[in-house]
Amino acid sequence: MSASAPQRILVVDDELGVREGCRKILSAEGYDVITAGDGKAGLEQFLERGPFSVLLVDLQMPRMSGLELMREIRARDEDIVCIIITAHATIDTAIEGTRQGAYSFIPKPFTPDELLLAIKNGLEKRALTLASKHLLAEREKRLLELASERSKSNTIISCMTDGILVVNLEKLVVLRNDAAARILPQCASREIPFPLAELADGDVREILQLIIDSPGGPMILSREIALGKGTFMVNASPVIEPDGETSGAVAVFSDVTALKKLETAKSMFVSMVAHEVKSPLAATEGWLNLILSGMLEKNPQEERHMIERSLLRVRTLRGMVNELLNLTAIQTGNFTLKRTPVELGEVLKDAVGAYAERAAEKKITVAVCGEPGPRVLADREALSIVFTNLVENAIKYGKEGGRVTVQAGRSGIYAVVSVKDDGIGMSAADREKVFEEFYRARNELTASIPGTGLGLSLVKRLTELHQGTVTVESTLGEGSVFTVSLPLMQG
Amino acid sequence: MQPVLVLLLDDDADFLELERKIFQSRGYEVSGHHDPPSALAALADHARQGRRILIVCDLMMKALDSGFTFARTVKGDPRFRDIPVIIVSAIASQKGFDFHPRTPEDLAGMNADAFFDKPVQPQALLAAAEKLLAGGTPAGASPAGGMPA
Repeated sequence: MSASAPQRILVVDDELGVREGCRKILSAEGYDVITAGDGKAGLEQFLERGPFSVLLVDLQMPRMSGLELMREIRARDEDIVCIIITAHATIDTAIEGTRQGAYSFIPKPFTPDELLLAIKNGLEKRALTLASKHLLAEREKRLLELASERSKSNTIISCMTDGILVVNLEKLVVLRNDAAARILPQCASREIPFPLAELADGDVREILQLIIDSPGGPMILSREIALGKGTFMVNASPVIEPDGETSGAVAVFSDVTALKKLETAKSMFVSMVAHEVKSPLAATEGWLNLILSGMLEKNPQEERHMIERSLLRVRTLRGMVNELLNLTAIQTGNFTLKRTPVELGEVLKDAVGAYAERAAEKKITVAVCGEPGPRVLADREALSIVFTNLVENAIKYGKEGGRVTVQAGRSGIYAVVSVKDDGIGMSAADREKVFEEFYRARNELTASIPGTGLGLSLVKRLTELHQGTVTVESTLGEGSVFTVSLPLMQG
Repeated sequence: MQPVLVLLLDDDADFLELERKIFQSRGYEVSGHHDPPSALAALADHARQGRRILIVCDLMMKALDSGFTFARTVKGDPRFRDIPVIIVSAIASQKGFDFHPRTPEDLAGMNADAFFDKPVQPQALLAAAEKLLAGGTPAGASPAGGMPA
């Protein structure tokens, strides 16, 4: 309510003299005065010009009595101060007037001071009522806000994917969210609060107890704990109140299962690489040791053979490092394809050409047949790695005096290249794993064939980078067919 | 007297050939094998003929623990249990496991009489073989005690 706005007073009396007298006295004091000659007119004024702070009303009027008017008005504004002006003040009317909510009576005739005093008292009472109402409303609003704030944080806590468990100083579990109930299933069925000592997991119990039993100084305890099928990073810390006092401990459970798996896969890969690097190094070192040991009779031809064997292992090692670098580049997204229109026929011819000598050594006939030129939008370098790997494998695992067939064609929107050999082939079990990193079929036939176990995984990854696929069909002892499909260039 | 037969088991062709040359240079007869079944067949054959035999075997982790299984089979078979077994491996520690035997009990647990890390110094391998064939414990059989690795 603005302090500068004048208080408004409605004067309703059928006596013109009283109405005008009141207007004069009150207007002179700065009040804003509206008058009406009977109850009905008073109600109309109220409805049209309200609200008013004070109603000065005569009891006996035509059309609508003062009490009736008060009832009507107070039904619409319960804070209006009603003061009855009456010439017939009796106990009965006083009681009735009070029942209708009248604040006071002014018996006629009255002096200006009597009128002003009654108005002033009424306004003070009204101000007090309004202020207390305002305070009450404020308080209720605050309470509502608090309640909704509370339910908001409760909702947030219960929706969190991290588990939360709160323990008070009496070592009672006083809060757990839904995630904690999932992570610690025995917790779900327990009524809150329940003793921390009855929590099944010893590690969780221990770190919460440690926090509660170590007063003074904030501290955080972190421990990786296996719970159910998962691994959780559990961070526990004291609950510190605004006054600095510790009131309990809170534990937050973050699921690190996926991270752990990744970590394990990573270290397995590293140890696999280390092993794969160590074997050729150990073989090379073994050969050099033997040559330098002087144990063998001097035989230049024999020495040369041993050096060549070492060289072969070193070359394999270098090839493996190259392939590893390529694989890593693909995995980290650092292998950028420079796509240009490529005629597959040319790539195949180059790949076969690169291994012509090797094929001749094994008396293997290599035939390139089918359509010469399906075109694909591809990285030529990458395709070259794909097809040299497949041709190399076909010759490496091909039969002495056998045949390798490289065939290019189309199928729907794909260019299809197959590389077929009639060599040692592989078992169904090997076929499943042949594209896995470092997988090499191990048997008597493959033992003497050098390889990194990375070539085919590189083939698969590079083909997939081109939205293509690579598949294998093979029968042990009969040979293998690797088929690469790549989207044909449009237009 | 017939020479001692050294039975080699390794899936790495280079090591097979290397070890063959090392043992042949000292006049041993060598029988090399890529996989346990063929080695076991040869073992049974030669044992039947009453040959003196020494086994040098790789762990061959690629085919799981076939090296360990092979050694266990040999030592568990009454026909072969007295044949000395030397385990040679490039993977003394692999995937978080450390295979390196530290005590004679470790060695016995591996069903081996000696253990070497690859690559083995030729002289060390020969010395161990000779000791074992002479019925003794090789210099390095307490494996921590300076068995050249």
